[in-house]
Amino acid sequence: MKRTTIAILLLVGVVAVSTAAETRWVERTKVDIRAGRGSFYEIVDTVIRGDQVEILTTQDKWASVRTKNAKTGWVYEAALKATPVQPGSSDFLKAAPSDVATSRTAASQGAKGIYAQNYAKQKGYDYGIVEWVETHQPDGPQIEAFLKDPGETAGGAR
Amino acid sequence: MTARAYSTLALLLVLVAMVGCETTGGSTALGIMTGTNPEDIRGAVTDIDEPEEIELGRAVASAVGSRYTLLRDEPLTRYVALVGNEVALQSDRPDLRYYFGVLDTEEVNAFATPGGYVFITRGTLRLMRDEATLAAVLGHEVGHVALKHHLAAIKDQKQKAVGSGVTKSLIRIGSSFIPGVGGAVTSAVVNTPLLDLTMDVAVEASLKGYSRDQETEADAVGVKYATRAGYDAAGLRNFLGAVQDSGTQPAKAGFLAKLNSTHPGGPERLKAQDDLLKTAPAGGRRAAPRFEQQVIAKLPPTR
Repeated sequence: MKRTTIAILLLVGVVAVSTAAETRWVERTKVDIRAGRGSFYEIVDTVIRGDQVEILTTQDKWASVRTKNAKTGWVYEAALKATPVQPGSSDFLKAAPSDVATSRTAASQGAKGIYAQNYAKQKGYDYGIVEWVETHQPDGPQIEAFLKDPGETAGGAR
Repeated sequence: MTARAYSTLALLLVLVAMVGCETTGGSTALGIMTGTNPEDIRGAVTDIDEPEEIELGRAVASAVGSRYTLLRDEPLTRYVALVGNEVALQSDRPDLRYYFGVLDTEEVNAFATPGGYVFITRGTLRLMRDEATLAAVLGHEVGHVALKHHLAAIKDQKQKAVGSGVTKSLIRIGSSFIPGVGGAVTSAVVNTPLLDLTMDVAVEASLKGYSRDQETEADAVGVKYATRAGYDAAGLRNFLGAVQDSGTQPAKAGFLAKLNSTHPGGPERLKAQDDLLKTAPAGGRRAAPRFEQQVIAKLPPTR
């Protein structure tokens, strides 16, 4: 009985240590969790400074994590810290275009072009260039396919 | 009083508290400072985090759009972006989202904005013969972004503004949220003068070019990123040589602002590349067939 109890306690201890060791805190203002190891993959969740994530695995400086929304995806390891980080949004994100300015929604949306659009309008600049390039980039699978093709024969970017 | 009217009143009270409080310290909405301690103000407004950097990048890109026409060629843009992303993945900021575009001009030039917007001109592509060269030039531009070359100048100018007498008025004039008619919040956002000033500085700093040291640094990391991606290390050397051979006049801003056969920047950059090639790994790919198919065969004729 005593031996079983000790074994259970040891097991619980190992699990607890393992869980603690796998937790990281978000150090940056806002970080997108993506479907793959690259900034061009689809965003599956967004975390903000101070949020905890659980590390599932790491590869080439990228970490696969589970967020507190139970979403899994990849994040660049440099955005995470091994010790707790005080929550806090930037002044910039607090001014996101919403009456829930300090909420996660505001943070995930950021100030998606609102300020730059205001600025461009005021200056008479063409904001259309931004909208066009943002919507005409290759997606994750296209880039993945490109990376596998050395390009020494014609093709590979259609 | 209706519920809407109460909520409007509450919002106004919050706004008054945000703008009027002199003793709390710290900051609230964008650019509206509640503290009077100059050190508090200085620290809060001179920091530029990534979301702000991206927004500054959009502002700079819109300024690029006012000077040049974007070539809205989807296959060409996608190809340039594929090469750009391959190089950016090897950069010091692989987690930043980069956007690539082609400018419809024969001027030989390339630009990068803060936050990862990279533009290359039709004239620049026309001087290239392979993908390794494109990778190196895009790597150079990605290098400026990855090494945050823009931000030092922007922060410096912002610091000067904060230190000047007009800062407080710049900070305080702006308001963030505008209560709408009937108490609804319109979600309209008005830029603070400080943010507009920051965007002005970002545009100026990004379009006037970089210091010679920064260009040298971007050359070095550009080649590094391209070779890490498996490209021939001679890409940038080949391009700089092609520019010199073509007798292209240097642009006033951007990639070639410091490159001129009579300017010490040009020969210095070429020599640096020659030196680098002596120790660079051999056997990188040039991907000339794909470049030929995707760019040379499809570039619109010179207008």
